[in-house]
This record gives sequence, structure tokens and C-alpha cells, in this order.
Amino acid sequence: MSDFSEDLLRPRTEDDPEEMRVGSGSGMHFPWLQRLVESVATGGRKQKEFAQTTSACLSFIQEALLKHQWQRAAEYMHSYFQILEDSDSNKRQAAPEIIWKLGSEILYYHPKSSVETFSAFADRMKNIGVMNYLKISLQHALYLVHHGLLDDASRNLSQAETWRYGDKSASQEVLINLVQAYKGLLRYYTWSEKKVELSRLDQDDYAYSAASQSMLDHSWKTSTDFHSLIQVPGVWDPFVKSYVEMLEFYGDREGAREVLTNYAYDEKFPSNPNAHVYLYGFLKRGKAPREQLISVLKILYQIVPSHILMLEFHRLLRKSEREEHRKLGLEVLFGVLDFAGCTKNRTAWQYLAKCLRQTLTGNHLAWVLEQWTPRKSWWPGFHFSSFRARGDWTEDRALAHEKAFVAGTLLGRGCRYFRYISKQDHQALRKKMKRIKKLVKKYSIVNSGL
Amino acid sequence: MDFPSSLRPMLFMTGPLGLSDVPDMSFMCSWRDALTLPESLPQTSKNGTPHLAKGLLWEPDTPGPLPLLPPGPDPWDPGLTAQDLLCRGGPKFRRQPKAVLDVTEQFSRFLWDHGDIAFAPLGKLMLENFKLEGARSYSKKKTVVSVQRILQDLGGHQPWGCPWACFSHRQRRFSILGDPILGKSVSNLLGELLHEELVMRWEQLLLDDAFTGGALAWLPGRTPRVRQLVYPAGGALDRLRPDFQEVRLTPGGDPRILGKPGHIQLRGPVRQVVTCTVQGESLLAVRSDYYCALWKVSKQGQPSPLQVLQVEKGATGVNLSPHLPGELVVCSRSGAVCLWTPQDGLQQIYKDPETLVFRDPSPWRWADFTAHPRVLTVGDRTGVKIIDTQGPPGCGLLLFRAGAEASCQKGERVLLTQYLGECGPDSLQPTLHLICTQFSLYLVDERLPLVPMLKWDHGLPSAPLLAQLLPPPRPGCPRPLLLGGHGGQLQLLHIAGEGASMPRLAGPPQSLPSRSDSLSAFPLLEPKSQQQLQERLQAPTIGLVAALPPSASTPVLSLFQLSAAGDVFHQRLHLREDSQSPGDPRPNFHAPTASWSPRATTCCRRWLKALLEVPPAPPVWAAPTFSHRHLLGLKEQRKVEGKVPEGLRAAMAEGRLLQQRDLGSLPTAEPPPAPEPGPKDELSERLEEAWEGPAAAWWERQQGKGSRPGKQPKRHKRRMQLSSTFSSLSGRLDLSDATSPPHSPDRTSPVSRPQLPETLPSQELTQDLWARGIPSERQQTLRDYMAKLPLQGDTPEGVSIPLSQTSSIQATPSRQQTLQDCTAELPRQRYTLRGATVPPSQTSSIQTTPCRQQAPRDCAAKRSLQRDTLGGAAMLSSQTSSLRTTRSGRQTPVVSGSQPRRKKPRMGF
Repeated sequence: MSDFSEDLLRPRTEDDPEEMRVGSGSGMHFPWLQRLVESVATGGRKQKEFAQTTSACLSFIQEALLKHQWQRAAEYMHSYFQILEDSDSNKRQAAPEIIWKLGSEILYYHPKSSVETFSAFADRMKNIGVMNYLKISLQHALYLVHHGLLDDASRNLSQAETWRYGDKSASQEVLINLVQAYKGLLRYYTWSEKKVELSRLDQDDYAYSAASQSMLDHSWKTSTDFHSLIQVPGVWDPFVKSYVEMLEFYGDREGAREVLTNYAYDEKFPSNPNAHVYLYGFLKRGKAPREQLISVLKILYQIVPSHILMLEFHRLLRKSEREEHRKLGLEVLFGVLDFAGCTKNRTAWQYLAKCLRQTLTGNHLAWVLEQWTPRKSWWPGFHFSSFRARGDWTEDRALAHEKAFVAGTLLGRGCRYFRYISKQDHQALRKKMKRIKKLVKKYSIVNSGL
Repeated sequence: MDFPSSLRPMLFMTGPLGLSDVPDMSFMCSWRDALTLPESLPQTSKNGTPHLAKGLLWEPDTPGPLPLLPPGPDPWDPGLTAQDLLCRGGPKFRRQPKAVLDVTEQFSRFLWDHGDIAFAPLGKLMLENFKLEGARSYSKKKTVVSVQRILQDLGGHQPWGCPWACFSHRQRRFSILGDPILGKSVSNLLGELLHEELVMRWEQLLLDDAFTGGALAWLPGRTPRVRQLVYPAGGALDRLRPDFQEVRLTPGGDPRILGKPGHIQLRGPVRQVVTCTVQGESLLAVRSDYYCALWKVSKQGQPSPLQVLQVEKGATGVNLSPHLPGELVVCSRSGAVCLWTPQDGLQQIYKDPETLVFRDPSPWRWADFTAHPRVLTVGDRTGVKIIDTQGPPGCGLLLFRAGAEASCQKGERVLLTQYLGECGPDSLQPTLHLICTQFSLYLVDERLPLVPMLKWDHGLPSAPLLAQLLPPPRPGCPRPLLLGGHGGQLQLLHIAGEGASMPRLAGPPQSLPSRSDSLSAFPLLEPKSQQQLQERLQAPTIGLVAALPPSASTPVLSLFQLSAAGDVFHQRLHLREDSQSPGDPRPNFHAPTASWSPRATTCCRRWLKALLEVPPAPPVWAAPTFSHRHLLGLKEQRKVEGKVPEGLRAAMAEGRLLQQRDLGSLPTAEPPPAPEPGPKDELSERLEEAWEGPAAAWWERQQGKGSRPGKQPKRHKRRMQLSSTFSSLSGRLDLSDATSPPHSPDRTSPVSRPQLPETLPSQELTQDLWARGIPSERQQTLRDYMAKLPLQGDTPEGVSIPLSQTSSIQATPSRQQTLQDCTAELPRQRYTLRGATVPPSQTSSIQTTPCRQQAPRDCAAKRSLQRDTLGGAAMLSSQTSSLRTTRSGRQTPVVSGSQPRRKKPRMGF
């Protein structure tokens, strides 16, 4: 009888769980859902005591970490190891990673911890739960690098490199590549040290040839280390940079170019501005023709119009004979000055003033209008307000003068910025202002438009 | 602008979120970011100065925030909770508890409370079956029921099935006739609607995104020191007004309230308040559910309205341009994003009812500005896109994708995006955007879309809807980034990365006290008021704002938070930097913990007094009352004597609550019998046996019980190895410094212990702990007792610690309890831990139960004692192999602390 009534009282959830269950309707996962449900569900099957203690312990560790109480966290950690004996195999398998994350964090920050303690912990963790061997090895090596123990780190990575477990999965492959690349980077460090040494030595010295021989060895090994990783889509700046430096040093310019071109133009890779910057730097070092440099920077301009190289790009375009390049040069300058971080870039304003003069002298009013028309609505408020005029005048007079010329040219002599700057009476700068006024009168597009 | 010259290596994978085969390259350790690869190694390795300030910590002055202003005059109700919506009792036989909406309960409540709505239309339909006139005339039709009689029969019945209720034949007939109509039609028609409503409410309870961005903001005031707090106030946030509260920030970071708050009365609840000062012009934008409004704030701090915008489908976000004064971006539930200027009106820049990356039902949209004044970010739950307002409509680049690119988890969604840009000499890149999901926090550079520059697993137990990036506390310091969860949890991260370096975490993130941590500052109240206070303190946080007042010595952070109840709380923190040079031993690296100052408690007390004077909110629901008059009549007929029935009847007749005085003095209850020891009380069993002599035999038996054969040994060996990493760590520590609370001047610090060889770290630990838990008067007894035990040969000397020392230690319940291996006893442990976080000023209340406090410590002491004294392998295995054996490990000699208190008299100490 009692069973029967219990059946009636029980909500009908076993039968139609799909309809009644909520919280996953949108597919969103709520980490706090569990807590809410547990605050209500009193009757259902309770968590086992073991699970309760371990989860309580975990939250204490996390709390202690967030309060920077490393000692307290270490003490709780001591108890948390019992989760390795959990009867729930899922939890048991996830445990090593959690332990590693928390434990390494504690040992990294604990004031009494040492490299030895950390290494002992890492070595033990590597072998608990095979899945984490590579990840932990990598982080351990990084830790050692950070503490200046390059040889230890290198040894660690070499060990990890040869490690295999079961079938080679894709993720394992990537991790092994990454391990190799870091090892290569460490080799590069020793190599560059040797390079510095070498530069100090005399070429005729006996030691020179020995040193250069060992450098050669290094570079040969390192190139294999980097090669496989940089084929995988990703951001590999430090690896690519050092790889290219080594290739260049040994005269393999073609190889370097291939690596950089692939890194910059492979569509599977994220659009990393640095890839183009490195390629540009490489070409520039190799005294590549201007056309080639412009084409590389053109792509960078499309990705990051505010890049610091854009002023260099403008200079290149300015020197070019082709008309379209000059037009682009003007566009680039307007583009740079659109950005909030570049408003006080004096060089950019200087270039723009000069470029406007040249363009207008060359009777290319249409180019200027093409750039100016979409900006007409917001540049006055953004660049040429009286607030900006006051600020610029007090902070950087030269900048204020350049801007005043641009403002006068684009907006006419009646604009606030120009009026404010021209009204400032300064003994030494009076002559300069007079010249600017004359230029504005000559070039102003507002007058010519009328 | 500088772009980081070398980015951190990162794997780039495209694909949906939760891709399992992708190795997550962001390992989630906060120290990972410290390991940026050196550009050229020789310099870093030789100079050897860690560029990272490891011990960057903001220390709170008080254990929790303090109320800044007296509570508003309107009552506040926490509203729906999970308990209201979910099935209580929970479904059985499930591995994982699942949320199940309690539609049945809600439905029956609805029928009871709004029966007129539910049944009136049906009643009209069934009119011919009822006879409303009261006359007793017998109808020929059997299907006509007299209403009057039914009502008479129903009167006085309990609403919820009284097991002894009897039905009249009329009721029976009525229920048989009415059931098919009343039972089915009503539930069919209404049930679906109700379920829909409940699902909506439940989703809102899980994630209330109305307050995304926060409703608390700063405005500049008359002078640089005086600033204004702008926030909605009043009642249940439904008649809201932004309050203009002037606050003066003293150099010490102490806010001082100036004058009376001004206010603007608005017609809807305020959800978001945004302020921005561009080119010397301060603007204030406010979002309510269907309106957005813009004010201009004069130099004197007087706001003047500029424009109001109605958003038909509901506004989800508003943001002010940091570049151009008077420019806003407004998002609507319809999926439209508009640029809004008071002069030019609205310009729709994006519209898509669908979400960006994959289909998600949420209509939430968000938009913010970027480093380019004409380029905006548009976000929804699935991603964030960069839109050029001057380009062709609808096209743009994805800045963030909830997918494998950022190694997102399954079910991860964007909750907040914020433009962090700000140009300054030592600021971060002005191109950074903060993106928060329920799991992680991402910093994305708009120049390198899709690849997060920084990812941190924040682990907040509620939705992070509030964030603020602060200026560096002093030049060269990393910038604090505040993250606030809807549930009141606060986290502070230090973001470094100026110039051409990547943004990275400088030092480990830190949690800040939440409002519920302030509960201990209030006096203990009667349960109802206590609950009211607790609910009030636990109200969701809907606004967060911080300021770094310019100060001379240590940087101070003034933190203000607004709760959904309309309370503004304030907390002051100051920066502590630990230089991490190894040659500088810091005796007290555990900072003095904050405690409640008398001023703080007075402040809380005053606030509480005002709070309790606020009339309670009218109940949302009250049980319907039923006529009990005729029951009274029934009682009257039978004359019953005695004071109790008399009192009952009197109370019933007056319709008031039955109180004890109505029933006279009750017979004095006997004191509850002392709890009998359980049948398997191993301790007393053992004590008895020990008394008789054959303790050794008993021990043998226990050991046999403990070391059960199993497949465990291998695994726990690992555990032992791991433990030794950490115990070696703690063993080398000077425990008196590390684990005891800061010594206040009136307490003596622990006396130096006898020197031990360093090869026995755990023994040192043992001694220390050994002495602490045992009351001084019992030590002699214990020593005698120890001598009788088989372990005597190796008993540590620690027992002979001077008595004066132990007593002084006993008065100092250790805040940082060693809980090693004691986690098995959860109920008591929980108590201990709650006690453990009580600040020293509160220790007086704990002193009464010192042995409870010390319990886990004793346990640990015993265990290490065993390890050291016996040292046998079998012993070790029995200690660690399983939970049960850990318990059996408790039968070791030290008994005073670890046993429940009721056992004490029986021990005869």
C-alpha cells in the first residue's frame, strides 16, 4: 500500500523525461545548475560520502587558491589525492588532470616550494594516467626554462619526445610536435648564444671553426624539430622566427622564404599579422624589389590598417612612380589615423599634411574627396574638436600645427581646430603659423569646392 | 599601434565547440602565462629577476563589504527560487540529479489561487447543470445540481486532502459529473501555457541576462575627488530612478557620502547604466526593458536629458562610444543593432534574427565599440563579430567563435563582451576585448580575430555579467580586471602586457569577499529576521564599480557593488606586493587577516536596524482560508472539559494562532535521555579491552580487518608518493607560522619546540599537532595511558610540552586547520570548516568548543604518529587503502579531540 501511494506521489518524470526536463533546452550548459537542483532534491539518491568529501575538498582547494593561501591549499591537496581511489572510473580518470592543475599551481606559488619539489611532483604525475604524460612534460619543461634550467628542460623534452602510448592519435601527434618544437627552441637558444660568442671570435682563430661546426650541428637538428609543427595550423611565432633566423644564417634563403610564405599565406592558418611582418622583414633584409615589399604590406594593411609598419608602407608607396600607389599612400594614412590609438601619432599627421599638399598640388582632388567624404561626418568630432585642440596645444605643439593644417585644408579655415590653434599667440611660432595659414588658403578643399 | 612582436604558440583548430580530439593548449594554470618565452634568452636567464610580481594581492580591510547607504524604504522579496519551481523530493534512481519542473504543484496552486479564472468560463458553459437559486426544489433532471448545497458541503473542508474528510453524495455526484469537463479541459488548456511560463521563469532563474553590463556607474563630480555613483534604487526595482549619489573618495579610499541623493524618476526598471567621459563631456546612458535614455552631465554634475528611445522588442544592451561624444549603440531582441546619436537619430548597422555561429534560441544581443570609431562588435550567445558601419550591411569578420578555435567546451556560450580599449602611456593594447562565458574568460585582440590572446577558467559559480578593467594602481603595475558573478562572487585578475607584449595574467587571480561574507558582522537575530538579512545579503549583484583613489603610499581599491535589493555595499582593499627574492625570508607571509572593526560592526548594526524597520513585502501567495465556523458549532455540542480544549476552541473562534499560553503550562518534559553509545562503538570497546590487558590482541584483530586484500595497493602507492611531495612541502615548513592565525599582540606566539633532526619532518608535525588538541589537565592521564600501549617505545617527546604552552595554544583555534585524511567525516568537518573561516575577533564563540575545532588536526597527528612509530608496511596500507580503514585509524591512542563530545565522560579522564 505504501509503495503504491509513493508511486502516486512521485512526479511522473520517469515516463516522460524529455518533456519535463529543463535546463538544457538551449543546449547551454550551466555550471550552477547542479547546485540549484541539489538544493531542492532531497529525496533522490544521494552522492556517496566519498564523492561528497572529495568534492568538498576540491572546493576548499580552489577557495584557498583564490585567496592565495598556498599552505592551506597544500594541506587540502594532501587529502585530495584520495580521489585517485574513486570507484567511479570517470572521476578517477579525470582526477590526474585536476590534481596536476591544482598541484602545479600550488607548487608554483608556494613560498617554500622549490624546483626539486615541483619536479618530483611532475615526474610522479606524468605516470599517473597515461593521457597526460605529454602535456605535463611540456609544462614541466616550461617551468624549468622559466627557472633558467635549460639543460634539464631539454632533457625532459627529449624524454617526452620518444614517448608513445597506444595508437598515435591526432592530438598526441600535435603534442609530440609541440614538444619537439620547444626542444628546438631550446636548441636555438644555445645556438644563438654560440653565435654571439662566434661574433666575438676572430675568423682566423682555430676556435672559430670548432664553434661554427657545433653551431652547424645544432641548426641541422633544430630544423627537423621545427619542421613538422609549423605545418600544423596555429600561431607559431617564436618557432618560425628562430627557424628562419637559423636558415638565413646558413644561407638557405629559399627554405626560409618557403617557410615564411607558407606561414603567411596558408589559408588554414589564422590571419596572423606577425606572419606578414616576418615575411616583410625577411624580404627587406634580402633587399627585395619595392614592388614585392609593397605587395606584402598591402595584405598587412588589409588585416591591420593600424599597424606600426603602415607608415613605412606609406613611405614605400610615396616613393613609387605609379599613380595608384600614391593614391593608396593617401588611403593608408587616413586609415592609420582612423584608430583611437594613433590619434596622437605626430609622424602620421606630418605625413598626411605632406601627402595632402602633394596630392592637391598634383591635381588629385578626387582622391582626397574619396577619402574625406566618409570621414566628414566623424573626423571633425574625433580629431578636430576644440577639446582636442586644447589638449594638443598643451601637449605637443608640433602635432597641433600639423593637425591644424590638415583641419584647415579639409574643413576650411572656419573650423574650430584651426581657429583655436591659429589664435594661440606664441612668439616663436608666429612665423610658422603664418606659413600654415598661407598654405591652408592655398590648398583648402573647401574653397576649391566652392 | 604596436602589435606584439611574438605571440604565444597556439594551436588553431576550426570546428564546433566541445571537440574532444583537440588538445587544449591553454592549460588553465595561471602560472602558464608567466612562462612567456624569453625573446632572447641570455638576458633573462642571467639577470634572473622574475619580471612577475608573484605576491600581488589585494587585501580587504574588512572580511566583507559594508553597507554604504541605509536600506531603501521599500521591502524586497527574493522572488522565485529553485525550490519554488522544481519538484521536491527529487526523482529517484537517477545517477545525476536533474531539474524537473514541478508543473503539478504549480498547477494545483494556480487552480486554488485563481479558480475564478480557471473555472469561470467552464461554469458558464455548464450553467444549465447548476441551480443557483437556493430554494430547495427537486429538479426532475438528475444532472442539475444545487449550488447552494454543494457550497454548504464544501465549506470547512481542508484544501489538501484531509484523510478523514467524508464526501456527501452530492459532492460525489458533482465530481463524477464535473470531472471530465473540469479535470481535462482546464488542464489541457491551461497546463500548456503554465508549463511554458514555468520554463521561461526557470530559464530566467538559471540566467538572468537583464542586468548584463551592470547598473552601477561612476560619473565625475564637481571636483576630481568628488564623484557620483549612479544606480537604480527603490523597491523591487520596478519604480526606479537613477540616484545621483555624491561620494567623496578620500586618499585612504574611504568613501564619504555628501548630501542627499538626487534622483530622476523613470517609468521602468533600470537594467543597465553606462557612463562615459569623452573629450571632457560626460554622458550617461540608461537601459530599461523597453526604453533607452541618454543624459548629458554638466561639469557641476547636473544631468540633463537628451533623448529617449523606445525599443519595441526590448533592449538587451546599450553602450557609449569611448571615441565620439554622444554616440551610442543599442541592441534589440529582434536582432537589430543600431548606432544612435541624439543629432542624427538611429542608424541600423546590423540585423539578423539568427545567431552568428550556430543556432541558439537566445534573443540576447550585445554590441560595443572597437579601437576604430566606425567599427563595432556585435555579439550573441554564439560568437562576436566585427562590423564596419561604413561597409556593406551584414558583412564582417568573426572576432570570437564559440568553437574549437578558442577550445570552447560543450554548451559554452558568450555571456558578456566588453571593449577594454583605453589609450594611455602604460595601458594595454587599445584593441583588446573581454569575452566572458560561463566557464572562461577570454581576451581577444581585434587585429587577430578568433585566436584568444588569453584564456582563463574563472570557475565562478554564477554567470559573470559584470566586468571592469581598472587603471594600474601604480605605474608599471599590471592592471586589475574585476569580474563579478550574478550571484555576488567577485574575482580579480591582474593583466599585464604593455606596449608590444602580449596580455598575460600577472600572478594568480584572487577572489574578493562577497556580500554574504558580511553576515558575520551582524548580530545574531531571531530566525525570521536572520533569514531576511541573509536573503538580503545574498541578493544578486547587479552592479559593480571600482575606483583607485590617488593616494600617497599603498594603492587602495574602492569597490562598490549594487544588489538587486537596491543596496550599495562598499569594500576597501589595499595592495600588498611581496617581493619574491628567496633571500628575504618573510616570517609572516600569511597576511594578517581582516577583522571587523568596531566602526564596521556599528555601521552594520545601524543598517540592520533600518532594514528591520522596513515593513515586510506583502506575501506573493497566501493560502486560501476556509470557513471553520460550522466546525466550531460541532465542537460546541459536545461539551468537553479541560483547559486545553478550551484554549483550542477560544483560539479557533477568534481565528488566531494557537499559542502556548492558551494551553496552560505543559507538563515539564523530561530532559532527553543521554544518547546511548552505538552497538559498534569501537573506541569504548577498545578502551575496555585495553583496560583488561589484551590490547595487543585487539590491535592484531583490527589490523586484520583493516588490510583487506584488494586491487588497491598499486594506486595508493602513487597516492603515497604524491602525498609525500606535499608533505615534504608542509614538513619543511615552520608550521607555527604557516598554519596558525596571525598573532595578535595580546597572545603569545607558540614557544619554540624541542629541536628535532630534519630527517623526520612528519614527526615534527606530529608533535606540534599532538600537543595542541589535548587539554592540559588531560595530558598527564594521557601520558600514563600511552605508557601502557604497545607503541610506547617510540612515543614522541612532544607530549611533554610545557602545559602553559598548550593552554595558550588551545585558546587560539587554528584558522587553517590541517584536514589531512579527515575528509571522511563530512558533517562534522563542515562545521569545522565554517568555523575555520571565522576571523580572529570571533574566536570567543569558538573557544567553547575547542576540541571540535581541533578534531581533524588530532586525527592527522595520530596518523602521522602511527606512521612514525610503527612504520610497518601493513600499517601504512591499512591507513590509506580505503575510507573505512581511515576511520579505523582513529582508534589510535589520542582520543580526546577526535571523538564526539558525548563520549568524554565515559573515558574517565
